[in-house]
Amino acid sequence: MSGKRVMAIIRHELRLVGRDPFPVVVLVLFPVLAMLFLKPAFKLALVADGYRSANGSEQVVPGQAVLNAFFIVSMTSFAFFSEYGWNTWERLRASAASSTEIIIGKALPRLAMSLTGFVVIFAIGIPLLDLRSRGPLVAAVPLVVALAICLVMLGVVVTALSRTVQQANAFAMVGLVLFGSIGGALVPINVLPAWARAVAPVTPTYWAMRGFRSVILDGTDVSGVLLPVAVLLGMSALFAAVSVAKFRFDDTKTSWA
Amino acid sequence: MAVSQNRSCIAPTRRVNDDGLPVLRVEGLCKAYGANVALAGVDLDVAAGEIVGLLGPNGAGKTTLVSIVAGLRGADGGRVRIGGIDALAHPHRVRSLLGLAPQETGIYPTLTCRQNLRFFGELTGLRKRELDTAVESVAEALQLTELLERRAQHLSGGERRRLHTALALVHRPALVMLDEPTTGADVRTRTQLLELVTNLAGGGSAVVYSTHYLNEIDQLGASVLIIDQGHAIARGTVPELVAAHAANVVEMTFAGPAPAVEVDALADRVERDGPVLRVHTRRPGAATAAIIEALGPQASGLRTLEVLHPSLEAVFLELTGRRYEPAVEEELGDVR
Repeated sequence: MSGKRVMAIIRHELRLVGRDPFPVVVLVLFPVLAMLFLKPAFKLALVADGYRSANGSEQVVPGQAVLNAFFIVSMTSFAFFSEYGWNTWERLRASAASSTEIIIGKALPRLAMSLTGFVVIFAIGIPLLDLRSRGPLVAAVPLVVALAICLVMLGVVVTALSRTVQQANAFAMVGLVLFGSIGGALVPINVLPAWARAVAPVTPTYWAMRGFRSVILDGTDVSGVLLPVAVLLGMSALFAAVSVAKFRFDDTKTSWA
Repeated sequence: MAVSQNRSCIAPTRRVNDDGLPVLRVEGLCKAYGANVALAGVDLDVAAGEIVGLLGPNGAGKTTLVSIVAGLRGADGGRVRIGGIDALAHPHRVRSLLGLAPQETGIYPTLTCRQNLRFFGELTGLRKRELDTAVESVAEALQLTELLERRAQHLSGGERRRLHTALALVHRPALVMLDEPTTGADVRTRTQLLELVTNLAGGGSAVVYSTHYLNEIDQLGASVLIIDQGHAIARGTVPELVAAHAANVVEMTFAGPAPAVEVDALADRVERDGPVLRVHTRRPGAATAAIIEALGPQASGLRTLEVLHPSLEAVFLELTGRRYEPAVEEELGDVR
């Protein structure tokens, strides 16, 4: 594998994103708006859950950040499907870049975008919604990185399993809403029915939110996120294995054409 | 008529074997899609500086051959060597030797021409001044210099086609594979692309030029591999193939079944195929007159008359028993 080729693909991908930054900006601004009107609901839920001094931002800020991060699934998938739409996929495959270099070159910028999204949402959410963490927020950094890796790998899996961009979009959107809801990012998990709470641990969002609650509400240090990080990395490994098994570079996929 | 050479030359930077071996050697290449045989043991050698036209109707197997050589598809059997390297076993080792322009125009529309060219140059390892020079050089060769800072989405169809071709050449590959590069191109773009191909070969590149336009082969002065239904049915220069396989053919189509005619003195061979009567002859004018006289009252059923002179089209007819119909052949699907 050539680091120079990977860097060339990364620069190229960032150039493509830079040519049309509007979706990225909207996806960061939207959670900020959502936080404002969801904060009261999360306050009620947290107080009912025993956190009497909570103002709701403790859950709504990380929750919206996690939801926003989920958009990276469709963005990652779209990075591949765009190549089909532009008829550049075959010539990219015929270039000196290997399959691994292409995947890494496309995934790393999305990883960076996901991490940047977390930073921006927390940077706005902390002062705007008066978020006060009981534990050191820096302890959540490994959690954020693990979640971003997990979601980017999920995006690669979605690409591998989809034959059309509409299928990929459907997978990503259903995943966003379903995983966001069940995992406790979209709605407080304690208001969900028992069966939903029981299946929640199969979602990356559940583990991400569990880690955030541990640091922000329970005041733990990095030790409080070790299990969620391990689970998220385990899911990442699973998604990577599925990608290796199912990603067919010579598949004929249909983009928007 | 061969195309003139009046553009700057894009010589390959990666010259391969100096031992007399061809740049590309394909041996017994086989590929099937389910029950449909796309390639049935195709052989092909292409030397440095040589243009080989892959000729055949749609669905003949040309794109499958190009795709396998470029490492985009696996083969069911056979061997492909590029610069002496086994391309099927080590596809990544030969990628920098190869420049492929697929059939469909493939460019990044939101990027400028320069950014498109630089990206594919960087993938082959070109950096800094070497990359700048390569981009300028290929842009000049394809008359894109004035368009380098323009976004690809704002180019005309012909300009896009030229950029698409330039992306395959920016690293000056030893083997250039152009899959129907003039499809959908206007006359000016077609002429420019044919000039470019001639220059590429003049600069020492081996060029595989897939097309279903017979006249382009003549214009390029290329040698030919004719593929039909997955089989390589002829290989050689146009004069060689014409001398070996082609004669004048008088072809008549009738309203009903073609009648039997007696023109043995003038005909080398007479064929009847439904409403079509074909007379292979060295004297087409005299043969035509004799046939019409021999038809007598049945001449009223004659609907069309065409004389095919010795040409690639006549070669194809001779070898397959069918007229060359590039656009109406049954296709095996989009994979071909």
